[in-house]
Amino acid sequence: MAIHKPKRLGFKLDMTPLVDIAFLLLTFFMFTTKFKSAAESEQKFTIKRPVATADTTKLPEVGTAIVKIAIDETGDTAYWFSITNEVDRESVYNKAELPDSIRSKALIPIGKDSVMLARLILATRFHDSDKREKDSASFQPTQFAIDADKDIDFAVIDQLMNVMRSQGATIFNFITVDQSEG
Amino acid sequence: MGAVDIGAGSGRRVKKGGVKKPKRVGFVLDMTPLVDIAFLLLTFFMFATTMAHPQIMEMRIPPDIKTEIQVNADNMLVLYVAEDGDYYYRVGVDTTFQSLESNKLRDFSVARNSEKGNDLVLSLKLHPNAKYESLIVALDELNKAEAILTRQYPSEKNSERERKFSIQPLDSLEQYRLEQL
Repeated sequence: MAIHKPKRLGFKLDMTPLVDIAFLLLTFFMFTTKFKSAAESEQKFTIKRPVATADTTKLPEVGTAIVKIAIDETGDTAYWFSITNEVDRESVYNKAELPDSIRSKALIPIGKDSVMLARLILATRFHDSDKREKDSASFQPTQFAIDADKDIDFAVIDQLMNVMRSQGATIFNFITVDQSEG
Repeated sequence: MGAVDIGAGSGRRVKKGGVKKPKRVGFVLDMTPLVDIAFLLLTFFMFATTMAHPQIMEMRIPPDIKTEIQVNADNMLVLYVAEDGDYYYRVGVDTTFQSLESNKLRDFSVARNSEKGNDLVLSLKLHPNAKYESLIVALDELNKAEAILTRQYPSEKNSERERKFSIQPLDSLEQYRLEQL
């Protein structure tokens, strides 16, 4: 008597819905991802931003001059300065007559040197003025933003506000995080 | 990758003398490498994405703080933030510091502003050792109060809301008194 072999049952999985979802998510993440800027990748310190109510006003990705205040490696409070646009950055650095040693950096370490900070803020305003002269129709002024650690003493913020006031930068922004994310 | 299915499974015989039908050729695409790459990229973007995009709080400061401006003392309200983040306030020429609960700041600002209307001049003074976070919390609460005031103002007074607010430096005497509280 011949042995009847059982039929081999194949298994086919339709992967189409899985691939659909995978590509949908992939597209979403590809469009929403924001990679670190040059200044952010140079940043060796962390800033714990203060929490505020959710606001629709987000930090602009271009045309911003950011003054960062954080605790450095030595445990001291220090300033850093960065310009988000690469083209503007070069012009501002030239106007501020920065030494060659730090000219290549996207994030300028200032330490506690408020004179250097004032020079950079003024150079940014000079750069803006030149831009307005060249093309007043499409001119967008550089926005100043303060990105400070929430545990920094108010005295440091006050000193920065006085420096900004002295250089005519009287409108600026405090960088915060949304309550739900903080 | 792609494989051609010659359709051997049909097994139907063509009748003799009949018109020969062309064999159906199926096409099976092995999607595994595609899915592998899709998931690899998906994982990368999922880890690289940061959803917490920072937001900004606009601040306008007067270009000059040296020039003295005459203000009716009754319209002055000074809000103090102590070293530990506690709130105190002082009204007009009265030198007594009164305590204010931290969760009452918004209601307090709305009430005082509603009382005086556009005439109230609010000064915020922080202790030099107060944390930056305290400044943001106070500004956030005052901004929320301002939003309420702006909404209710035109209907009541038929005029526009004008905010009179500034951050001012703490003088030595005020600092000393604040530390004693």
